[in-house]
Amino acid sequence: MPQSWRADTKPHKFCPGCGHGLVLKCLGQAIDELGIQGKTVFGCDIGCSLLSWDFFNLDSVQTHHGRTTPVVTGIKRARPELICIAYMGDGGGYSIGVQHLISAAARDEKITAILANNTQYAMTGGQMAPTTMPGQKTETTPYGRDPETTGFPLHGQEMVASVSREEAYVARGSIANLRQLKSFIKKALENQMKEIGFSFVEALSACPTNWRTNAAETWDFIEEKMPVYFKVGETRKNE
Amino acid sequence: MSKKIVEQEKRAFMTGNEVVAWAALAAKADIMYGYPITPQNEIMHYWTRMAPKYEKSFLQTEDELSAGFTTIGGVMAGRKAFTATAGPGNTLMQEPMSMAEMMRLPTVVVVQQRGGPSTATVIYSQQEVTMTSIGGNGEGMRIVYSTSSHQELYDYTIKAFNTAWKYRFPTFVLGDGYQAKMRESLTLYDPEARGIELIPPEAYVGKEGVPGKDRPPAHFRNTYNMEEELYELVMDALQDYEKISPDVAEYHSAGIEDAELVIVGHGIVYRAIKAAVEAMREKGLRVGYFRPVTLRPLPVPQIKELMASNKQILLMESSYGQLARLFKDVAYGSSTKINTFFKPGMGITAEEVEAAAREILK
Amino acid sequence: MSKRIVEAYTGEYAGGKSENALNRALALARQGRIVTLVDLDIVEPVYTLRPIQEELRALGINVIAWKTAETVGLGEAGTTLKPGARWALRHEGDIILDIGYGVEGTRTLNLLEGAATDQDLQVIAVINISRPMTAEVKDIVEHVREMGRVDALLNNTHLADETTPKVVQEGARVVAEAARHLGLPVVATAAVTSIAEEIGDVDCMGNPVRVLTRYMQKAFW
Repeated sequence: MPQSWRADTKPHKFCPGCGHGLVLKCLGQAIDELGIQGKTVFGCDIGCSLLSWDFFNLDSVQTHHGRTTPVVTGIKRARPELICIAYMGDGGGYSIGVQHLISAAARDEKITAILANNTQYAMTGGQMAPTTMPGQKTETTPYGRDPETTGFPLHGQEMVASVSREEAYVARGSIANLRQLKSFIKKALENQMKEIGFSFVEALSACPTNWRTNAAETWDFIEEKMPVYFKVGETRKNE
Repeated sequence: MSKKIVEQEKRAFMTGNEVVAWAALAAKADIMYGYPITPQNEIMHYWTRMAPKYEKSFLQTEDELSAGFTTIGGVMAGRKAFTATAGPGNTLMQEPMSMAEMMRLPTVVVVQQRGGPSTATVIYSQQEVTMTSIGGNGEGMRIVYSTSSHQELYDYTIKAFNTAWKYRFPTFVLGDGYQAKMRESLTLYDPEARGIELIPPEAYVGKEGVPGKDRPPAHFRNTYNMEEELYELVMDALQDYEKISPDVAEYHSAGIEDAELVIVGHGIVYRAIKAAVEAMREKGLRVGYFRPVTLRPLPVPQIKELMASNKQILLMESSYGQLARLFKDVAYGSSTKINTFFKPGMGITAEEVEAAAREILK
Repeated sequence: MSKRIVEAYTGEYAGGKSENALNRALALARQGRIVTLVDLDIVEPVYTLRPIQEELRALGINVIAWKTAETVGLGEAGTTLKPGARWALRHEGDIILDIGYGVEGTRTLNLLEGAATDQDLQVIAVINISRPMTAEVKDIVEHVREMGRVDALLNNTHLADETTPKVVQEGARVVAEAARHLGLPVVATAAVTSIAEEIGDVDCMGNPVRVLTRYMQKAFW
């Protein structure tokens, strides 16, 4: 268990098979390896990400849906010496809070935003999100997402990259490749530590509970189906 | 340490928005977050002109949701942070302020009211009383100062930071478009030179030491699982709010003892009321006024006493009864008649006050 | 009739530009001159002249300014530069321009056809040392330098109802000192009738005193 995890709140409250625990494990390891536990502030959104409000041995604040980016931006602007992390889901980052995420990227805020993409709103019971795949059934697309009437999945990471400066760090990882995901998160944090610029990592994540998938189907969805729309890799990196 | 904005007291001729920026600097505010909306823009204009000279910061955000939530971030980081807004911006501000209310965050928001509903006019009104006092999803655990002059804008903006950090409830300075734009003289002073202690801010997050090693981590949330958990928390906060209310509530009154008619109003309307009452007194009419400075919490015992005194009441405001609703709630049980004079989104002159008063005294 | 007078009044927010422009236009009209008064305030649009526009027109002044009722969402959206203002310098007779505040200062003049080449144009910065941003010589010098083109200063120091001759004369001294640093003339000291009478025809620095009537108290959006 990463040192920066808070032991007495484990086991965590995410569903079995949920991707959040894996993303947060990568984040915890990155924080440990960078030795920044003493100066890091963690903000989390509404949706399942809120279950991480007491996840770390880090000063943490749970905000409103979509508003983690501005709260964390406000902290960073007031105390630039802190390492500030905004943690959210795809609904918070790409829908209700998209103006905040895009504006933070455009202003090159020296924060790190981490977004777990599980292709739907999980905590509210599995509704369509901007990231829902064509044909994917959700509670608000009971016959499958029809791109004709509801559009195609949003390329959020690419959208963020398109408004980010060259010096920003913008990448998409996946819980299917934890070593890589951790390295992306670490580079994102380093980008902030060196005061270079904005950093953002989207993590392809799993929600077997709402997908109603068994283990084999879950991995098939993450490894085969999601990458069709959501290409894994680094879009902006300062090297 | 950065230098002081006011080295020695002086009279100055200023606009209201400018006064707010100076007062925030005098109160040692650290950072302003803001989004443009008329009629508060010059608060940002003057803050951005002066802030760098005093090592202060500014962030122009993408909207008022962000202005409110970044202000929350600034406060949680342990800085005196504030924002300013109006009208539809104040509507958006209700979401972050409900979080501040829930988490007892000492945010300071300056509201320069404009006409409503909706975008309406950018000029003037008193139609943001309900929203500022008891808006958002919550219980109205806020402190709202309604100012009536540039001196008060200066005094109460300074005070708002102290009140917020002392009691940890979101605090508002409620002005309006007239006050924002009009020009008049006031005394600028350094609060500390007058013996006003400035309450230092305190960090919620980003505190000294490694969490989990040197100290427990500071974990904050506004989401709760159980109704009972929430109930206990809200009741505790409400109890605190009720307890501090007598200390926080402020009002002005004159001529009440022998008055047949007491005129009630707040903010800039109070100026017209005061002028009219003074003019009528000179003409021998037995009139007085009662003006709540704080709209939340209202000066409850004084209002109850007033309502028990069998005088006529005339409540005047530039909205269709937003102060009246708060006032009547306190006055409940009294049989004293409350006459009303409502002009939503329009100014009220001293002449109108006198005419309305004479109509009742006839 | 003597030479055409073209004056642009500029200066800090709430420094008194509109009041001085207005009074100047009225003074010239009273001399029987043809006067056009132009509201070029585009930061705080149309603040200036409502509801005194009709009063000015009745006195024979040609006013180029929005009427509040003609605009929508003023202060937030819409065309805040009245199209007619663009060709204001083409009008016959004297032209008095009221230029709003803003970080662009007198660059607002770029919006006027012929401003760059008008031989008669004089840009006058109105200064009130009771305004905290222009309280001291160094502040005024810095402020005027940031404004762009300025040809002269005008001392408009006052404290509203609390104004005394002493307040105005102190302004005259400070503004003259700032003008010396800037290498600019001071065209006048402005004061309301009662104060102006006490001071006399010239202020303590020898600059002419203009008598002001305060109209702006009646003006709002």
